[in-house]
Amino acid sequence: MQNILSVLWPSFLVAGIAEGIFFTLIDPQELYLFGEPVHFSSLTTYSIGFFCFWVICAASSMATCYLLHTAQEFKGADQKT
Amino acid sequence: MVTPLAVTSKPVTFVEQSLYEVHEKVYPRSVTGVYATWRWLMVWLTQTLFYGLCWLPWNGRQAVLFDLTARKFYIFGLVFWPQDIIYLAVLLIISAYSLFLFTAVGGRLWCGYACPQTVYTEIFLWIERKIEGNRAARIKLDANAMSPRKLLLRVAKYSAWGLLALWTGFTFVGYFTPIKMLWVSVWSFSLGPWEIFWIIFYGSFTYLFAGHLREQVCKYMCPYARFQGVMFDPDTLTITYDATRGEPRGSHKKGESYKAQGKGDCVDCSICVQVCPTGIDIRKGLQYECIGCAACIDACDQVMEKMGTPKGLIRYSTEHAIAAHWGWKEIISHIVRPRVLIYTAILWTIIAAFIWGIATKSTLRVDVIRDRAVLAREVEGGLIENVYRLHVMNASEAAHRYAITVSGLPEINMIGERIIELPPAGDRTFMVQVRVPPDSGKRGSNVIYFEVKAMADETTVIREKATFIQP
Repeated sequence: MQNILSVLWPSFLVAGIAEGIFFTLIDPQELYLFGEPVHFSSLTTYSIGFFCFWVICAASSMATCYLLHTAQEFKGADQKT
Repeated sequence: MVTPLAVTSKPVTFVEQSLYEVHEKVYPRSVTGVYATWRWLMVWLTQTLFYGLCWLPWNGRQAVLFDLTARKFYIFGLVFWPQDIIYLAVLLIISAYSLFLFTAVGGRLWCGYACPQTVYTEIFLWIERKIEGNRAARIKLDANAMSPRKLLLRVAKYSAWGLLALWTGFTFVGYFTPIKMLWVSVWSFSLGPWEIFWIIFYGSFTYLFAGHLREQVCKYMCPYARFQGVMFDPDTLTITYDATRGEPRGSHKKGESYKAQGKGDCVDCSICVQVCPTGIDIRKGLQYECIGCAACIDACDQVMEKMGTPKGLIRYSTEHAIAAHWGWKEIISHIVRPRVLIYTAILWTIIAAFIWGIATKSTLRVDVIRDRAVLAREVEGGLIENVYRLHVMNASEAAHRYAITVSGLPEINMIGERIIELPPAGDRTFMVQVRVPPDSGKRGSNVIYFEVKAMADETTVIREKATFIQP
């Protein structure tokens, strides 16, 4: 549980900042999705954008968490099985 | 001389232990006093602003509205477009410097009195106290097995929290979508899916943070709590227990002078621990968990009053002041020190620049973008044409007519609208074609200028550079 939160919480904060900067600079009506102009409402684009940022940041945090495991822990896990 | 490296054959052993402590629920005891009054004043002030400001009308629109769909921010008479991001950036820098300054002078004033986490926890605790009773009653209720009474109290508490959280979520969304329209949509069941989602999302966070997580947000989640220590120095006012006066602690027997028994002023009643929202013992010294709410000062002062000893065993003081037994006069004289002076100087410089920037901000904005699809083409009469997209934004409170002209090349001419009309805070994007004879200017890119001028006010004028491609 604590691992999940330490992935989700920092990525939430960073996603918020990224969302703010990205959509200040880019108008959602000018985005293209698979070659087609995006025809969602602005609010939908902002919301989807936020969750995309969150997922990307969470993936990065998750990778960090994963790489933090020491070799010893892996060896320990092997011996147990 | 070379020292040989010591080779050890001792294997490195890793001891696995949990990084997290087991969480124990904190039951803050209610407290009254000078600082509690201040905290409640701040709750009223910040929440009247938050819940009220979105309902305030201004020139026929919402006074404070961050209209994301139209990409315009309204703050009373000011209109900001995404191009004005610099003002937001400066505002954030001002907030950060204010925080540094306040922290250097008075410790965690922000955390104790103004942070939404503290403010909402205070409100949610008040609801909890009204429904479930005081600290002792709440501890007892939690320990009891589920009963009809407990169920009733729980349902009442969670519903009250839920309603407040929903209202908070609704208010939050009301800063991004006109709140009066949002209110009408609620009652006609026509809220958009994303509006419903964000109301519930923000509401749930409020409920979770203020109702359940409380001090854990400050202890484990808040980035500011982690680095506030670097802004402290020995002259920073913090909530301090005067150990030389209080120790050795212990209960005072009636009829005997406690000083004759070699005891200090602290009667070890533990009320300072019971009132602490983060559950720490301030008598152990300054700790990073302390949010500076001063609840322990109020609590201790009441005890000191009952015991007939002077107040202020726990008080706002500084490390130097406690060590050297300074009074307020010396503490205040130490407020002015290089760190504070530097923070203040930087802060005022930025604030002055910000105000100057806002005051002289042009009420007209123009963006010129060359049409990327067509570089240059030949039209009737052998003229060369380039196409531009003009975005004209009126950031004033009045409707305006604007005249558009183009210059920079011999015999330059513009086809399209030459006069446009914009409502207050309105904007429009439209295409114009610029034509020149083939021998005008050099081959390649030439600099041309678009000039947009308010017809009623000659001083409101914007000159924008663009490039004209001559094939």
